[in-house]
Amino acid sequence: MKAKSNTGARKTLIAYLVASPSLLLIGLIVVFPILYTAYISLTNMNTYHWFNYSIIGLDNYKRALFMFDSGFLSALLNTVVWTVVNMVLQLVIAFLISNLLNVKRLPLRNFYKTILMFPWAMPGYVSILLWKTGMFNSQFGLLTQWMEKLSGLTVRWLQNDVSAFLCCTAVNLWLALPFMIMIMDGGLKSIDRSYYESATLDGAGPIRQAVSITLPCLRPIIGPSVVITVFTTFKQFDIIYLMTQQVGAQTGAHIHTIITYAYENAFITNNYGFSSAISILIFALLIVFAQISNRREKEETV
Amino acid sequence: MKKTVSIILLLVLLLSLTGCSSQQETKTAGPVTITIWHDKEEPVIAVLEEAVKELEPDVHVVFEKKSGMTESLKLVGNDKNAAPDLYIFAHDKIGVYAEMGILTPITEFVDSSLLDRYVPLTVKGATYKGTVYQLPLYFETLLFMYNKKYMAESDIPGTTEDLYSYMERKTRYGHYGFVEQHSTPYYAAGWIHGFGGSLITEDGQPLLNSEEVTAALAYHKKFVDLMPGETEYATVNTLFTEGMAHATIAGPWFVPTVRNAGIDVEIAPMPIVNETGLPLAPYSGIQGVHILKVHAEEKKAAISKVLEILMNPDVSVALAKVSGCAPAMESCYEREDVQADSLIMAMRSTAETAVPMPNIPEMDVMWSVAGTLLTDVNVSGYDVLEAAESAQQKALDLIEAMK
Repeated sequence: MKAKSNTGARKTLIAYLVASPSLLLIGLIVVFPILYTAYISLTNMNTYHWFNYSIIGLDNYKRALFMFDSGFLSALLNTVVWTVVNMVLQLVIAFLISNLLNVKRLPLRNFYKTILMFPWAMPGYVSILLWKTGMFNSQFGLLTQWMEKLSGLTVRWLQNDVSAFLCCTAVNLWLALPFMIMIMDGGLKSIDRSYYESATLDGAGPIRQAVSITLPCLRPIIGPSVVITVFTTFKQFDIIYLMTQQVGAQTGAHIHTIITYAYENAFITNNYGFSSAISILIFALLIVFAQISNRREKEETV
Repeated sequence: MKKTVSIILLLVLLLSLTGCSSQQETKTAGPVTITIWHDKEEPVIAVLEEAVKELEPDVHVVFEKKSGMTESLKLVGNDKNAAPDLYIFAHDKIGVYAEMGILTPITEFVDSSLLDRYVPLTVKGATYKGTVYQLPLYFETLLFMYNKKYMAESDIPGTTEDLYSYMERKTRYGHYGFVEQHSTPYYAAGWIHGFGGSLITEDGQPLLNSEEVTAALAYHKKFVDLMPGETEYATVNTLFTEGMAHATIAGPWFVPTVRNAGIDVEIAPMPIVNETGLPLAPYSGIQGVHILKVHAEEKKAAISKVLEILMNPDVSVALAKVSGCAPAMESCYEREDVQADSLIMAMRSTAETAVPMPNIPEMDVMWSVAGTLLTDVNVSGYDVLEAAESAQQKALDLIEAMK
């Protein structure tokens, strides 16, 4: 009995030893920056105390909480709406497209797949600016010119909040759909064909099959990707900033997510202590969201 | 077998990690190596490399192009192993680096009386809290440009009201009499200075709700109404290069692009604001050499030799020509080839009224706040006074948050 437990302990030890380089690497890349940010958040590191900074306790957190004013709350609400709208649209559209890609005897299937992957291969920064100038620009944008030809009206797509929000959503979908389509496509392929054959024999139609077979089988496969995408969407910065707020190219829309709000109110100050405190608070907020979504998932599986 | 493979992998990983940990300091006896970071284009560096060649073999100068140099300097500016000896960049970050304590005054290497040889604007830009931290090389100012095909000489606006009436007459059928990046602080500052105002004082007090700034914004708005809604860099420049805009305000870097597009472009003096009698006075950027504190003492002699070469008027003229900017040394303007260059001479004459971009750290937040104020007034149509009050408060809050 003792010999057995000794072998077990040895195996565990070896497992940890073998995994230690990876753990060390993960620690350096992921954990260290978080801990270092937490440390900086307790100091007065800024332009005036760059190398001679000292620990000032929780002062930065007190100031950061003051920043969490009505502007921050509306940014938080925007972020939640942004995440929900984008996730719902992404899941629905990706589900439809990946189902279409799996239609039997579909000609040029691989060609469509390559085209659909294209946005993913392009650097996000380039794609966003291409959309901004190529599609939405009020002088040369393709959409603007179509609108002018059709209705005679010059539309400034990015000038008001609602329209800018919808334009940013379109760009986000363009950038994010390839990943979701790829995951769903893989998921659909892994579902056993015999389920559908049995369902057809039992008289179930395509919608019934989709609801009762495809969706339940897909859920565990796409679960982790959905969680990753939720967080990527939640902390989205590039699209909203580059489309509407870039200095010198502001469009008049005031849509803020918590990250763009924090950028405009803290990060540009070069006050690393204060900015780190804000980052840690946003990090804590994300952890809370993650816990809530994990708990829900567990409850649903039970 | 598996065990051996895992042990090898483990060793490789550990070795690669220790490899990252420290950068070996290479100490060479004999010739001194001076490393200069820069963000400049190839022809500018070619001129500099040619100029410092004569210092070989005693002093070997290495030019390293850095993207994101401002952030790199913040991270390693005082690190003996990683920081350069000198760097070439615009003057507007001097305040930040001086406050961080990574810069050495230029006057410790160059006799301060020699700075009298420079265009006053450039020395003003290089000075922070009374200390000169940059040896200017060349500078640029924004210029009033017009397309000769559309704007006749008699149409060149002497005053802002002349410009407005030209815009009223010519802005139609997809053409614009005048376009500019009206909601970008770097460009709009010219109008504010033309009203005797400023975005910020020298000691870092924002002035966004001052009488001069609000008057300038209110007056400027009527010009904005005759321009396209979106006026970022790409849109404005395309309108001018496509021949759809008759005049614009842009930097000298834009001229080669315009000429390549086949536009017959000419430079005119900045219009004078009727209300104040002052010309539109744009910001100016001064490019120059800065000395980092880390190696300043141990390499003093070598750095002094490099600076001495960079103070040669021939180098200054050559740099100005390849960069499309204006030389920082006053004596260069006596040369015939410089006088024959209308672009350089236009910048020299604008330098009389132009304002060096503020180099104080507080300016870092002002670009963003002033940009939002301009967009609120020009694009969103907010009330000038209300928008200015709210921008002023935001600027004060952000400046407070910097400390």
